[in-house]
Amino acid sequence: MPTNRLAQVPPGSQDLLAADVRRRRRVQRVWFELAERSGYDEVIPPTFEYEEVFTRAGTKLASELIRFVDRDGRLVALRADFTSAIARMASTRLRDAELPLRLSYAGKVYRQRPEGGGHARETFQLGAELLGSAGAEADVEVLRMVIALLRALEIGDFQINLGDIRFVRPLLAGLEPDEAEALRTAIDRKDRAALAEAARRYGAAAAVARALVELPELIGRGEVLKRARSLASGPDAEAAIERLRAIDALLAEDERAHVVYDLGEIRGLGYYTGIQFEVFVAGAGRAVAFGGRYDDLLALYGLDRPAVGFALETDALAELVREAP
Amino acid sequence: MSQPLRVALPKGRMMDEALLLFERVGSIIDPAARDSRRLILPSADGRFEFLPVKSSDVPVYVEAGVADAGVAGSDVLDEREPDVLRPLDLGFGGCALAVAAPRDASYPHLPGGGMPRVATKYDESARRFFAGKGMQVELIHISGSVELAPLLGLAHWIVDLVQTGRTLAENGLVVVEEISRSSARLIVNRASHKLRLEDHQRLIADLAAALERSA
Repeated sequence: MPTNRLAQVPPGSQDLLAADVRRRRRVQRVWFELAERSGYDEVIPPTFEYEEVFTRAGTKLASELIRFVDRDGRLVALRADFTSAIARMASTRLRDAELPLRLSYAGKVYRQRPEGGGHARETFQLGAELLGSAGAEADVEVLRMVIALLRALEIGDFQINLGDIRFVRPLLAGLEPDEAEALRTAIDRKDRAALAEAARRYGAAAAVARALVELPELIGRGEVLKRARSLASGPDAEAAIERLRAIDALLAEDERAHVVYDLGEIRGLGYYTGIQFEVFVAGAGRAVAFGGRYDDLLALYGLDRPAVGFALETDALAELVREAP
Repeated sequence: MSQPLRVALPKGRMMDEALLLFERVGSIIDPAARDSRRLILPSADGRFEFLPVKSSDVPVYVEAGVADAGVAGSDVLDEREPDVLRPLDLGFGGCALAVAAPRDASYPHLPGGGMPRVATKYDESARRFFAGKGMQVELIHISGSVELAPLLGLAHWIVDLVQTGRTLAENGLVVVEEISRSSARLIVNRASHKLRLEDHQRLIADLAAALERSA
């Protein structure tokens, strides 16, 4: 029956009806008011781009692209990520713009996801990128945007898990690719036994072995930074702790209350070069926002500039906010 | 008292062993709820809520965050690859995922170089294993009594869990190659671990201590 067939949409896509739309629009309205007030200009990248824009960073995004062949035979992909598209824009059309450059966005991203997991293939995101500033002040500016946005949406109970990838990266140095992969997996799963086993098997130095086994426990308030400092080996790991301390000092008391230091998280490995964070809200089973510093990304598009930014899962947040009065 | 942690447990023998382990950290099912038909069983000390589900469903509940933690065999985790933390090997539920074949069957090549057919419940793990060895096989998904497949000529070999090997022997099958060892793991939802850090750290430390005492 044709009517039954028309009632189907492809798995992972959905119709949004009045109430769903009102909640998403409220999140976006509050966001753009805040972004404008903070000096961020909205940009709208195209809905589809040449696929290389999304594969350049070499992340797993490449395996999640929804691709098709353009008229001239070139491969194009639906927008899988705003940051990649904005990095392309910043390195080309905006390469002579005055820095720092503050850009904001909101719209849909499209990703190929396995069927049956309840994953959407088309989701709303919003976020901001601060390009051209390498300092702790820029990191704090982005963290403050996230905090201000959640507060403006009357979500009081949220937590920002903040780390710096430079703390973990040296622990993976000098390993064969398959060894590094096994170790990354163990760190990502917080599997203490596998961490101890890996440290032994790869003959890690005593200081590295100790840091590896402690990684799953390096979560908490300011005191964790002290503990991590004593485990840090090498200039990169020390720079990571220094940066987190600088951020801690810049945050106001009521902002710091939302921050948990989390040195053992490596979700952003391969993309971030400095701080990285995830935002959790009670009632959501996964992170609702994530971000960090990616100083090497723009260079891949031809303009070597530091950058820091965040993205927020608008759909997940819309489930948690009240409808606008 | 904070909210209880909701722990998904795989129905069957592994659930009995998991409950024995929780008993050793001082948490038993509330006697009032035992033998009832309730789908969620609170612990008497109010620390946990146990959620008995089918073993292959445990990762689904934990990944989505409707359960904070769970107990799942590593065979199930390797098959579904859920995005969850796996902080602890609980030691029990030991078995192996293996390729088995009739006693007189040839492995790893069929005479004449034909394409082997392999029956299994563990499509993903089997696919990865054979691909890793560079072997071309045709997988046939079966959801139970996999041992029957070679007897009836549906498949040349099977990939299945082996505990004692008795079921295999009764059906004239032998293990020809082991794929991986499996045991029960504690798994934890990522967001819950961040938001209820102390509850999870206490659970992991308590279970680790109980396992160490019995080791």
